[in-house]
Amino acid sequence: MIEEALNSVDDVKRAEAKPFLFTRIHARMSKGTESVWEKAGWLISRPAVAFTGLCLIVLINVMVMMNNNSVSTVNNTEVAQNSTDEFSSTVATIYDIENTQP
Amino acid sequence: MNQPELVLLLQQGDESAFTKLVDEWQDMVYNTALGIVQHADDADDITQEVFIQVYQSVSSFKGDSKFSTWLYRITLSKALDHEKKKKRKKRFGFVQSLFGGDDEDQAHSVEFDHPGVQLEKKERANELFNALKQIPDKQRIAFTLNKLEGQSYQEVADIMNTTLYAVESLMGRAKTNLKKVLSSYYDNKIPEQK
Repeated sequence: MIEEALNSVDDVKRAEAKPFLFTRIHARMSKGTESVWEKAGWLISRPAVAFTGLCLIVLINVMVMMNNNSVSTVNNTEVAQNSTDEFSSTVATIYDIENTQP
Repeated sequence: MNQPELVLLLQQGDESAFTKLVDEWQDMVYNTALGIVQHADDADDITQEVFIQVYQSVSSFKGDSKFSTWLYRITLSKALDHEKKKKRKKRFGFVQSLFGGDDEDQAHSVEFDHPGVQLEKKERANELFNALKQIPDKQRIAFTLNKLEGQSYQEVADIMNTTLYAVESLMGRAKTNLKKVLSSYYDNKIPEQK
């Protein structure tokens, strides 16, 4: 049976193309080339590209959020430092109390 | 009109030369594509693409090889590209189904019936074509060109841009692998028939 299968295409005739092939070719060529937007749309619709794009957007969002967190931490530190400085300038030290003379 | 004249007219953009080209070579292109993709509509699409590419890039044909050799190469390239696209679609079929993708590709799993095969050999031929899908591409190409297109080993070597020895080796391995696949198929099939 294996040999029969292997020899089954020995006398095969060439398959014939469907009728009016030239008409279909001509119609296809007349449609013209795709626009840039059509090509872009086709590219974006590919699952791999869409998935990669989504991951990229999520990654950028995470990086921005992390960056914002570190900036707000710095701001809080600055506020605390400013408060400390202000407070320290009004606290009376032993020198202020004992040294009343100008 | 001989081949060099036809090529020259094509390069000059002669429409009647293009019509003649399609007339003369359409069955060759279609049969070759059909042997690879095993689907009539896809083979028809590929045939159209091949001729469009020929029309657009005939100026790049330098005459280093026969025109038929060039045509075969374009056809095989388009057919294999088509197969790769199909495999990619299958791989992402899960993702597509999440986004409401259609089931068009599932229709491609039906048995392939080559119209040129004699009636009494159709069943065995179907089994052979099924087995052909499971061997490496280069072996499949060599087998298709030799068996379906009647190309000699030397002609197959010219088309595949390789040596005669390499083609002999490819054909040997193709037959060995086909025998393995068919043997496994028959071993699984025959107990079911009992």
